[in-house]
Amino acid sequence: MINKNKMTPYIMVSPYIIHFLAFIAFPVIFSFILMFHRWNIISPMQYIGLGNFDHLFQDRLFFKAILNTIIFLVIHIPLQIIVALFFAEMLNQKLKLRGFYRAAFFLPVVVSGVVVTYMWQQLYGYDTGVLNRLLVWLGLGKVGWLLDPKVAMPSIAIMATWKNVGLYIVLFLVGLQSVPQQYYEAADLEGASHWQKFRHITLPMINPTFFMVVVLSTIGGFSLFIEPYIMTDGGPLNSTLSAVLYIYREGFFFYHMGYATTLGFFFALLILAVVVIQRKFVEREI
Amino acid sequence: MKKLNCFPGLVKYQNFYFLLIFLLNFYSCHNKQLSSNNQILYWSSNNTYEIEFSRAVVKEWNRLNPDQRVKFQPVPEGQSSEEVILAAVVGKTTPDIYSNMWQGDVEAYADAGVLVALDTLPGFLEFLNLRCDSQTIAEVTSRDGHIYQIPWKINPIMLISNVNMMKKIGFVTPPVTYSEFLKAGESFKKDIDGDGYVDQWVGYSEVMVRWWQRFFDFYPLYLAASHGAPLVRNNKILFDNIFAVNVFKFLQILYERNYFSKERLSARQDVFLSGVIATRFTGPWEIMHAENFKPEGFEYEFSPVPVPDEFKGEPYTYCDPKNIVIFNTCKDPKIAWEFLKMLTTKEKDLLFLEMTNQLPRRQNIAEDPFFENYFNRNPKMLPFARQAKFVKGTDTSPVLKEIFDIISQEYEACVVYSKKSPEQAIADAAKAARLIVY
Repeated sequence: MINKNKMTPYIMVSPYIIHFLAFIAFPVIFSFILMFHRWNIISPMQYIGLGNFDHLFQDRLFFKAILNTIIFLVIHIPLQIIVALFFAEMLNQKLKLRGFYRAAFFLPVVVSGVVVTYMWQQLYGYDTGVLNRLLVWLGLGKVGWLLDPKVAMPSIAIMATWKNVGLYIVLFLVGLQSVPQQYYEAADLEGASHWQKFRHITLPMINPTFFMVVVLSTIGGFSLFIEPYIMTDGGPLNSTLSAVLYIYREGFFFYHMGYATTLGFFFALLILAVVVIQRKFVEREI
Repeated sequence: MKKLNCFPGLVKYQNFYFLLIFLLNFYSCHNKQLSSNNQILYWSSNNTYEIEFSRAVVKEWNRLNPDQRVKFQPVPEGQSSEEVILAAVVGKTTPDIYSNMWQGDVEAYADAGVLVALDTLPGFLEFLNLRCDSQTIAEVTSRDGHIYQIPWKINPIMLISNVNMMKKIGFVTPPVTYSEFLKAGESFKKDIDGDGYVDQWVGYSEVMVRWWQRFFDFYPLYLAASHGAPLVRNNKILFDNIFAVNVFKFLQILYERNYFSKERLSARQDVFLSGVIATRFTGPWEIMHAENFKPEGFEYEFSPVPVPDEFKGEPYTYCDPKNIVIFNTCKDPKIAWEFLKMLTTKEKDLLFLEMTNQLPRRQNIAEDPFFENYFNRNPKMLPFARQAKFVKGTDTSPVLKEIFDIISQEYEACVVYSKKSPEQAIADAAKAARLIVY
């Protein structure tokens, strides 16, 4: 007979086990199976071997979506790091209303992404947007923030930076405050300039934070979805079509579940590869 | 050492709790919607007026048929009713009857075998022949030769015009041809605030590339120009023709010359009622909206969408059809069919029209004296009723959405951004579409 007390731990962990099996293990296994099938949800699955992979490597739009995502990252990550580090440095000084500024910078982070997106859509409006009105008032021409294929993705990157920078300011601030003051005092005695102190003390000392910010920004950037979904629907001319938006479209507009899963799997591998490379590169360089 | 037992009750009844957790999990996953006492479950659209209509009909049915009761509820809330229905099909929680099925979705559901072939029910074909003309019947016949839907309601897409503004630019009647429309575009275009940029346009159509947007610009214009020609039939792509090219050319000029705005105006205050645009392609739902929100003295009228200059005859348009289906989860399709016969009688169609201001898809509705009184009281609906003779729904293809997505991609490249010639864009769209039809 099983000792009743032996069952207790199993009962206690059963909620997690059930959750794990239902929402992690099963979807992963099912997705793996789906990659080799065609399935529109309502009809039975049809085995197609490597057909989805074959389609993937011929799908120009998907590779354009990946390229768009990389363009977004190339603008967004450096911009986010520079802005966040700059403001973190500022907020690390003895400022009046420092608490207020810290809260103000963090505010966009806690505002819903949908709300922020709609707000920026109004700012970016071609005819009635505040930015273009300002440009016209200054005697400059209007910019097609979301209408010009060359400008639309940078516009979204600026908006995403504004939305997320508060979080990275806080992270950098924590990193900056953990740098021992003695190093700066020693550097002052040696006559180091402000830039030298920043380059040779601050940056190496906040390296773990720096790495974390780069990785978080990269993963966050790769999952770009809400902004183009609401503002541009991937346009103009697919210039803001992100990889996740494309996968979503394939899955939930056209119900190509097998293909969407294959895209998702390929994209996850890509993110993994980028993060691994980043880890080696960033940790060595700084 | 004494064992610490923080939850003595748990240990005592652990088998019971264990069983309870599993039963709860099992039950929560098993959400099959059972119609109690074998009632027929009927879902309508969740439009307020349609809910009232459906409730009234169900009440009458239940009074007359206490042994064969129908339970009514509007389709549950979701991002779209299409998504809710799909989820219900997957979860096998479909209602017995659903009366808001977009015609373009029916073929995929029929292919999946989740719908009842209505033509197998006694008296269905006689009923359909009385209700609809042969063209409509052909349109709703699936590729396997069966009919899975009752054509029920339509909202034809027409051109709404601001009467006073059009008069100011010399149009006593709305523009009929492409040339007239372009002339109106040139006359109406204006820089109101003097900043050097146009801020008043003759019309507007959503520029987003989402596939269904083309049902409100390209597709009605294509149907009008081509006398209702199909885009796809029997797995053959047929839109690679002069009509499609001319529609792209016409729309391309509208954007090139800035007669239509490229900016998304839908996020602003209603641009038609506020006079920013003078026309738009829309359906009868616009009447209730305009009557509720129009400024004083604002006048509007409906007319067919523009046609090529050399066009002769009556222009067709897209009618956004929503039909009635019976899912194969229905235990007694014959009772469901009896209920549907009552739901679609002439009297109920009139009641539907009165309560919802949506047109039943019934032949000769504009000429039928039975409906005359309604149209006398609601003259704005009369153009839609007249147009109803010349409407088309969607072609029968399980990859219709994908075809519209392809057209939409080319539409953006050619019409909105002039990156391609209309001939090239239509040829490219047809080529891509031919790869996916089956």
